[in-house]
Amino acid sequence: MLQLVVGQLLNGVIVGTLYAIIALGVTLTFGITGIVNFALGVFMMLGAYVTWYLTDGIGIAYPLAVPLAVACIALIGLAVDQSLFRFTRNNLINGLIVSIGLISVIVAIVLMIWTTTPQNMHYVLPGVLRLGGVVVPKMKAVVFVVLLLVILFTYGALTRTWAGRAAYAYAQNAEAAALMGIRTGVLQAGVAAYSAALAGLGGALYASLYSITPEIGSSYILKGVEAAILAGIGSVMGSFAGGIIIGVAEGVGSIFLPSAYNDAYGLVFLVLILLLRPAGLFAPR
Amino acid sequence: MKFLLAIPLFFVPLAVHDNVVLTILIFTYLVGILAVSFNLIFGFTGQLSLFHAAAFGLSAYATYLSMVHLGVSFWVGALIGVLFVTLISIAIGAICFRFKLRELYFAIVTLAFSELIRLVILNWNSFTNGSLGINFTLTPTLWVPGRGVIPVAGTIMWYYLSLAAVVAAVFAYSRIVHSWMGRCFASIRLNDALADTLGINVFRYKLVSFVAGNIGAAVAGSLYSFYISYIDPNYFSLDQSLAIIAMALLGGREFVAAPIVGALVLTALPHVINVNAEARLLIYGLILILTILLMPRGIVGLLVRRRHAA
Amino acid sequence: MLLEVRHLTKRFGGLTAVSDLSFGLDAGEIIGVFGPNGSGKTTLLNLISGVYTPTAGELVWKDEALVGRKPHEIAAAGIVKTFQNPQLFGELSVFENVAIAGHLRLKRQAGWRRVATLFPVRANADDDLASRIDHVLRLCRLDAFRDVPAASLSYGGEKMLGVALALMCEPVLLLLDEPGSGLGHDELRNLDEVLRDLRAHGTTLCVIDHRVGFLGKLADRAIVIHHGAKIAEGRPDDVLRDRAVIEAYLGRGDA
Repeated sequence: MLQLVVGQLLNGVIVGTLYAIIALGVTLTFGITGIVNFALGVFMMLGAYVTWYLTDGIGIAYPLAVPLAVACIALIGLAVDQSLFRFTRNNLINGLIVSIGLISVIVAIVLMIWTTTPQNMHYVLPGVLRLGGVVVPKMKAVVFVVLLLVILFTYGALTRTWAGRAAYAYAQNAEAAALMGIRTGVLQAGVAAYSAALAGLGGALYASLYSITPEIGSSYILKGVEAAILAGIGSVMGSFAGGIIIGVAEGVGSIFLPSAYNDAYGLVFLVLILLLRPAGLFAPR
Repeated sequence: MKFLLAIPLFFVPLAVHDNVVLTILIFTYLVGILAVSFNLIFGFTGQLSLFHAAAFGLSAYATYLSMVHLGVSFWVGALIGVLFVTLISIAIGAICFRFKLRELYFAIVTLAFSELIRLVILNWNSFTNGSLGINFTLTPTLWVPGRGVIPVAGTIMWYYLSLAAVVAAVFAYSRIVHSWMGRCFASIRLNDALADTLGINVFRYKLVSFVAGNIGAAVAGSLYSFYISYIDPNYFSLDQSLAIIAMALLGGREFVAAPIVGALVLTALPHVINVNAEARLLIYGLILILTILLMPRGIVGLLVRRRHAA
Repeated sequence: MLLEVRHLTKRFGGLTAVSDLSFGLDAGEIIGVFGPNGSGKTTLLNLISGVYTPTAGELVWKDEALVGRKPHEIAAAGIVKTFQNPQLFGELSVFENVAIAGHLRLKRQAGWRRVATLFPVRANADDDLASRIDHVLRLCRLDAFRDVPAASLSYGGEKMLGVALALMCEPVLLLLDEPGSGLGHDELRNLDEVLRDLRAHGTTLCVIDHRVGFLGKLADRAIVIHHGAKIAEGRPDDVLRDRAVIEAYLGRGDA
C-alpha cells in the first residue's frame, strides 16, 4: 500500500510539474497583459503535435525536435499576441472571448490535418529507474528535471536580470514602468512569446509520455489556471507548488476515489482558495 | 415597440413549409432564451457567469427524472426543474457574492461549480445514465379544448411552443431591465462601490440577477431537451457556457432581445453552411474573434444607437 | 445630538489613520473638518459611512450603533457620503445617474410593493421620480446637462453631480469629501449657495475641505484633525487662529 501511495505521489509530482509549467505561463500572462490566456492549452497541444511530427514524421532526433517545436510555438504565440491579444490588454472578457475563438480555430485546424485519432510518439527513453521499491519510468524523470530547471530558470531570470525586474515593475505599476523607460509593448510581446514557449515545452515533453489528441489542451489549461490561482497569481515558485499540489492530490486521491473524480480535486481547491484566501497560498502578505 | 417584430413570426409556418427553416428557428428561439437570460447577468449586471450551461442541463435532467420517477407531467416536471435550479443558484450565488468575488474569480468559481456538477452527473450512472446520456421516451402533453390531451410533437407545434416561450422570456426580462431593478443592475455593472453608498444592496441585486438569469436557462433547458428528446453531460461543458457568452456578444450586450440574433447566427450557420464539423468549428472561432475585436457592440449594436438605463 | 463619534480609532496594519477621535454633531449645523493632507479626514468619513470598520470606538446615530452596518444600510438610515474623486456612472446620462440614486426614495415610498411595478399591472412609479430628479438637477445647477453623458461633464460638473446623487438619497446627514477642490470661482460660489440651501431645508452637513476661506465662512463649527487626532474644535474663526492648528498646516516656524 505504501508503495502504491509513494508511486502515485511521484507520478503526481511529475504530472503536477506539467500543470505548473502551464500555470507559470498563465501567471506571467496575467501579470503583464492583464488577461487569462486560455489558448495556452492549445499551445501545449500544438507543442505536442509539432514535436511528434518532427520526430516521427520527419525523423529529427527528439532532443533537437523539442527546442525546434518550442521555438515554433513561441513564434505562433507572438504572432497571435501581436495580431489579436494586443487589442485586449487588461480586458478580461475580451481576452477570454478571443482565447476561445482562437482555441476553436487551432483545434479545428489540427483536426483537419490529423483527425481525432490519438497519436503516439515512439519511445524516446525506454526503461525505468528503481528508487527504493518504487518504479519510475526514466522518461518521466527526465521530463520532471527539465521542467523543474525551466521553472527555476524563469524564477532566476525574473528576479535577477534587468528584463525580469522590469517585468515585475511593470506588473506592479504599468504607468510608472512606462514612464521609467521600460518598453511596455516589447515586454508584453516578450511575455506572450515566453508563455507560449513554456506551454509548447510542456506539450513537447507530454508527447514523449502519453498519446496525444487535439483535446489534451483543455484539461491542462484548466488545471494550469487552478494551480495559478491556488498559488496566487504572480508567484513563480507558487505556480510550481500549486501544480504539484493538484497533481499529487489527483494521484493519491485516485487510489481512494474513482478516477472519474480526478478533475474534482483541483476544482474543490480552487473554490476553497477563492473563498477563503483569494490572494492565494503563496501571495506576499 | 420591438414586440411588433414578433408578430410576423407567428405567421411564418403558414408561409414557410420548409422543415429545415422552421427547425432552425425553433433552435434559435430555445437557445435564444438561454442567451437572453444569460445577458441579464452578464450584459446588464456585469457579472460573467460560467454557470449558465449547468443551469440549462440541471433543469433538463431534473425535469425528465421527475417525470420518470414521480410520474408528473412535463409542465410540473419543468416547474420542478426551475425550482431546483433556483435553489442551487441561490446557494451558489450567495456563496460567491457573500465572499465578494469579482470578475474573473466569480467566473472561475461558477465554472468550478458547473464542472463539479457535471462530474457528479457523469458518474452517477445509476440515476443519470452517466456519459451515455438519456434518450427521452416521454414527451410534453397539452390539453387542447375539443381534442383532449395531445402530445407536443411535430415541427409546427414545437415552433409555436418555442416562439411563445421566447416572447414570454423577452417580455419578462424586458420588464425587469426597464424598471427600477434594471437601474440597480446597471449601477452594479458600472460602479458597484458607488451603488453601495447610494443605498443599493449590491449583494441582494447581484443574487437576484443571477437567480433570475438562471431561471431562464432552466426553462430553456427543459424545453430544449424535450425537443431533441435527449440530454447528456456534455451540455454542462465549458464549451457550452462559452458558446452562450459568444451569442450574447455577437447579438449585442446592450439590448434585451439582441442575444437572439447571436443565437440565430451561431445555431443557424452550422446548418445553413454545409460543411463538416471541423470547418464549422473553425468558422465559429473566427466569428468570435472578429466580433469581439471589430463589433464590440454586437450586430444589433451596429444598427441601433446607445441604450438607456431604464 | 444627531451623531456621536466616540473614541474612534482606525489602524491599517502599522499605520494609525484615525486616533481616539470624539465629537458630536447636532441636527441642522454645518460642521467643517480641517486638517493637512493625510490627517485622516477622508478615513473619518469612510468610517462614518461604513466603508471602513473601526478598529475601536463607537458611532451612535439617533441613539443607534452604526458600527458593523453595511454602507447601503447606513445610507438607508440617512447618512450619505460623496467621494473626493467623483464617482459616477459614466456611460449614462446625468438624468439616468440621478435616477439610480432614486432607489432609496423608491424604497421609502413603496417598500416591498415596489416589486409590483415589475408586473404590467401597476403603473410605474417613474413619473413622480422624473420630477424629483429635475428638481435636484435644478438645485445643483445641472439642469442644462440633463441628457449629457456623465463622463463628458467638466470636473466641476462631475463634483456637482456627486452632490446631486447624494441629495437624491434624501440624506439627514450629508458627508462631503472635498466638494470644492478643483472648482473654479463661480462653481465654488454655486456650491456654497447649494449647501446653504440644504442647511436651510434641514439637512445636516459635515464637510471636508482644504480651502479654509470657503469652508471657514460656511461652517458653524470646525474640527481640526492632525495625524488622526483632534487638535482643535470650536468656532471657525477661533480654531483657525489656534496656534496648534497653524503649526499643523504650516509648520513650527510660522506660528
